[in-house]
Amino acid sequence: MVGLGDLERDVMARLWDAGQPLTVRQVHERLSPERDLAYTTVMTVLDRLAKKGVVRQERADRAYRYAPTQTREEMTAALMLEALGATPDGAARDAALVHFVGRVGPEGAAALRAALDRTARGSLP
Amino acid sequence: MTALLLGALGLALSRFVPPALARARWTSREPRAAIVLWQAVTLASVLSAIGVVLAAPEEYVRARGAGPLGAEWILLGALAVAGFIVARLLAALVAVTGGSRRRRARHRMLVDLLDRAEQHGDVEGHLPAGSLRVLDGEVPFAYCLPGRSPRVVVSGGALRALTREELAAVLDHEHAHLRARHDLVLEAFAAVHRAVPRPLRSRTALDAVHLLLEMAADDAARRHHGDQPLRGALATMGGAVAAPPEAAGTGRDAERERLRRLDRLSPGAPRPSRAAGAAMCALAAAVLLLPTVALVLPWLLQARAGWPL
Repeated sequence: MVGLGDLERDVMARLWDAGQPLTVRQVHERLSPERDLAYTTVMTVLDRLAKKGVVRQERADRAYRYAPTQTREEMTAALMLEALGATPDGAARDAALVHFVGRVGPEGAAALRAALDRTARGSLP
Repeated sequence: MTALLLGALGLALSRFVPPALARARWTSREPRAAIVLWQAVTLASVLSAIGVVLAAPEEYVRARGAGPLGAEWILLGALAVAGFIVARLLAALVAVTGGSRRRRARHRMLVDLLDRAEQHGDVEGHLPAGSLRVLDGEVPFAYCLPGRSPRVVVSGGALRALTREELAAVLDHEHAHLRARHDLVLEAFAAVHRAVPRPLRSRTALDAVHLLLEMAADDAARRHHGDQPLRGALATMGGAVAAPPEAAGTGRDAERERLRRLDRLSPGAPRPSRAAGAAMCALAAAVLLLPTVALVLPWLLQARAGWPL
């Protein structure tokens, strides 16, 4: 039995790998080789991801298509910046979000931000 | 007189003791006891502030008479100010814990989606089941998300850059943070920091306690793995993106923290000492108890006679 969390992760992975918006059916097809899933389950998962704000729903040709709101690299870089305490908001550190082994210095944060900007620009249409 | 002495004590505990305590090297002999000492110093400074607010008007009224306003109103005013201080502390605590819970929930949700489960391999070790997450990226890092459903996050870069023993030590370090609920300790200090009026605020206590918590987690990890793997991991993880010593801001602080942690893991460093720990705990108790017995109790006994309620 696979948890809903794993399923959400796998659906996101398919959307990121696809590089283009997918319909529910397309996501279902891409998951089917590994998993025996009901079409409606995939629909539910996509709906949940959309509610979380990580997936965008688009209507095209009378079918809903789903795409990630950020690339995997953008999302990873944003998380790292927050975790490494390099967010401009100092409260992020005060709020005791996480503890680290190894924190990045200013150049490390700058390099991460630069990478983040690059991927952000690259993903624009 | 009580109010003046309490004021001087509060000033010393909030302005002069923290920088000295943060500079002191003996605190790293037994970081957990040092954290208790920081808690005592911080609590005592808060209690002194409340003591001043209560004692000063009472002593004034006793010495000079109440004047046209009436003793009741002056003392009620003092109680109201003391109540305001307590309310401000509680509000800060609610804001800090609520804020970090929201941040953590969102961070956890994203980390779960980005996880590269296929890279977990057998590194999960003795972490709580299902708590390991691996993120893409060559920068070697590791951190934990505390809470009821904790996560330990490492980068793919860390998995590749660290040896097996180093990785085990790092995961144990993070697990120690989770087990000992270091997040609660830090949140309490963050709350006091936030409650202090902005011009008087200082990060000294918060940063010092942060470093001591890292050292405490280091100690938990070195008990199982020895010093060497942790040293190796700290050298690798900081080295990859380390700030030069002259760099300003948080980078330099992080680098200084890393060097102090490396120092105490080096072969010639003084070992953790029970005696140092006991001394620090005794000092912590003294910081809280001595002013209470010497200043607050005599004043309370004296004031009770004139208390209008």
